Amino acid sequence: MKDKKFWQVVGLILLVFFVYWLAGAPYFITDRVVMFFSIFILGSILLYNIRYAERGGEVYLRPIPGLKAVEEAVGRSTEMGRPVLYVPGIQDMDQVETVAGVVVLGHVAKMTAQYETNLNVPVARSIVMKAAREACRESYTVEGRPDMFNEDMVHYLTDDQFAYAAGVNGIMNREKPAACLYMGKFYAESLILAETGNSIGAIQIAGTASQAQIPFFVTACDYTLIGEEFFAASAYLSQKPELVGGVRGQDMIKLTVIASIIFSILMMALYESTGLGFDVTNFLTIR
Amino acid sequence: MSKLEDILLKIGSVDRRWIFIIIAIVVIIPLLVPIGMPIRATDTSKAVYDAIEDLPKGSKFLLSLEYSPSTKPENHPMAISILRHLFRNDHKVYITCLWPDGQFMAQDALSQVAEGEFNKVYGEDYVLLGYRPGAEAVVKGIVSNIRKLYSVDSKQTKIDEIPMMDGITKFKDFAFLFSVSSGYPGTIEWVQYAADPTGVPMSSGVTSIQVNEVMPYVQSGQMVGLLAGMPGAAEYESLVGEKGSATSGMDAQSIAHLVIVLFIVLGNAAYFIERKRSRKY
Amino acid sequence: MLWKRQIPILIVAVIGSITLFGWFINEPSIKVFVEDDATQWYNILASFAAILGALNLIKIQVQKVLYQKPGWGYSSIAVFGFVFSIIAGFFIKGVDVEWGAHVSSEGTLFKWMFDYIFSPMSATMFSLLAFFVASASYRAFRIRNFEATLLLVSGIIIMIGRVPVGGVISSWFVMYLIVLCAGIYVNSWKKDLKITFVFVLVGISLVTIGGVLMGWPIDQPGVFYLPSIQEWIYYYPNVAGARAIMIGIGLGIFATSIRYILGIERSYIGE
Repeated sequence: MKDKKFWQVVGLILLVFFVYWLAGAPYFITDRVVMFFSIFILGSILLYNIRYAERGGEVYLRPIPGLKAVEEAVGRSTEMGRPVLYVPGIQDMDQVETVAGVVVLGHVAKMTAQYETNLNVPVARSIVMKAAREACRESYTVEGRPDMFNEDMVHYLTDDQFAYAAGVNGIMNREKPAACLYMGKFYAESLILAETGNSIGAIQIAGTASQAQIPFFVTACDYTLIGEEFFAASAYLSQKPELVGGVRGQDMIKLTVIASIIFSILMMALYESTGLGFDVTNFLTIR
Repeated sequence: MSKLEDILLKIGSVDRRWIFIIIAIVVIIPLLVPIGMPIRATDTSKAVYDAIEDLPKGSKFLLSLEYSPSTKPENHPMAISILRHLFRNDHKVYITCLWPDGQFMAQDALSQVAEGEFNKVYGEDYVLLGYRPGAEAVVKGIVSNIRKLYSVDSKQTKIDEIPMMDGITKFKDFAFLFSVSSGYPGTIEWVQYAADPTGVPMSSGVTSIQVNEVMPYVQSGQMVGLLAGMPGAAEYESLVGEKGSATSGMDAQSIAHLVIVLFIVLGNAAYFIERKRSRKY
Repeated sequence: MLWKRQIPILIVAVIGSITLFGWFINEPSIKVFVEDDATQWYNILASFAAILGALNLIKIQVQKVLYQKPGWGYSSIAVFGFVFSIIAGFFIKGVDVEWGAHVSSEGTLFKWMFDYIFSPMSATMFSLLAFFVASASYRAFRIRNFEATLLLVSGIIIMIGRVPVGGVISSWFVMYLIVLCAGIYVNSWKKDLKITFVFVLVGISLVTIGGVLMGWPIDQPGVFYLPSIQEWIYYYPNVAGARAIMIGIGLGIFATSIRYILGIERSYIGE
């Protein structure tokens, strides 16, 4: 509430939009105005909380065991003299989960650079290979160990889902990594990877927003980041104020959505029983 | 009693390779010696059947196949049964594929059903438009202008030279969409970018894993029914009246599930005995 | 520095904003960009990038073969498969058909490779799931606490209710099973055999009388019929949980995307 600049900008944008609307809203698809305002409101909530954190506001992040365990896993690999296997999912960089996976890879690469542990990152897409390489190179340079970075630590296997799973399984059985991290978008190959990792005795940490695969990872892995915990991983590992504020913003957005759902249920009940109010489903339907 | 507890404890810590062998045996035997368990169609499968049955004869039907050989046992029987139902009712079938493997699966299904069983004529009764890369872009392209996306079909024949493509320019020209899908891109993209915005009714057949993700769309009315995995495929085979590989696979799946439940029960028995003994000592 | 930081951030911001707000703008060129071109650009980039991946794969595998590193036998198979696919896709058709149509026409080398090498291998890898599901369930489904018990019971109901054998199991059998399980619980609670015996006897009698009166229909009462319970679990608690997770994930994707578009999250281009 104390962020004057934020409220000034919001007010200015609303004023500009109001003037635009009065002018007939040329080129604007008026049917979608509810969606437009929803994006505006939710985006504002997110930005407010990011600015709140940047200005020094306290943000509590509940401990996520899976993320705490990442450093333990890398440490375990170092003690056992075995590599860390990192799988950033099987989709391309157009999926937000893959980008989040590459971001977490950057943090893991910092740890492996620090502990001087081998890192093996087999990928299923060429663009992911380039992005992951840059993330690792950057991390090793920041940790002052550019000599330890080797381009081939991030290597391309194949685009095909099960051929990739077969390739990663082969790597697991031959190199016997002590830690297997699965962070990204997965499909049916998730259980194949997790069970093979379990059979070689590796500590396994998974993070995905692929709803159907979460149960398999929960069953077969030691730690699992479910849904938004995975998206919050970057904030959690870096502790940067803007990212931590983003996590708080996400939770505030969720509260807003919950409040909207409850309000809509009450409004619909009132409308359908007495005719008072308006048809909320029609109002909220995206066209 | 103590001997029984020891046996249960041994079972509780059995090498997983024994589990693999037992699963292999219980799956192979019913495939070789079918039991013939009765298949009971669920409401979601019946909804798909009724929706297709209610279409006027000769309707233009878009069938999209996006699965690969890995999920063929679950998805292929759905495609076969749907094609049988469509050709039996003399609908015009247009087939697209969002996965490259889908084109091969489509060809297998068409050669078995369209050519082998119904003697349908390519270009007049059905056309295989084929695979185009782009995921959601392909769906959006079909919605806005299918001719821009597909200038030739899978046999490299120009679209303008195919008789049944007359009058087909966009997604709304179709009466119904059915997507046989096993991942991304698939059912959800069709719902989000095609069926829901345009109002064209759609249904889908998915793998058992995907049912969770897709069921909210069925419940909200954005999809008409759903064929859920191999059980869904077997139910549709029973509704269409022609048993196929899904029905024969259900015997194996039934026995395998029972065996897995037995393992779980034995594993828990061993767990309780171990806990009791560790408390005792 | 400009090329490595500011320009990539600007590209993400501009393209991201156009793609996001383009959905609200009724202007043909922007609509075409948002709906067709933006995703096509990505596909074109990805297609060219595939060459990089292929070169990397060949480099690593050929090095392994040449220096006879551990596992070089597998690498030689990988190299052979790569070369074979290139030949089948670009050089030898096997049948006189158009280039392009040859990938799926009967009798071509590529189709042969797909039918007799790729398909069986894909199916084999997927079929591993059957074994792994069994071993994972056996290892993980333990009654450790209330939630684990709930997971176990609902898992068993779904597994059996979903397949034809579940339809063959009478609801009366399930009721007898419940009475026996309740008897075990009563025994562990009261630790008195007499009470347990009376409880189980009463339970079995009630179920038997009910069955006789109703004529032992296999699917009544519906609340104990496994396919009915399975359907209810699928359509209500399961979908409710799935929806909640979907909404959460959707909001997570929204928040993450907004952070990338506004340049707040920059770790994808390095620190």
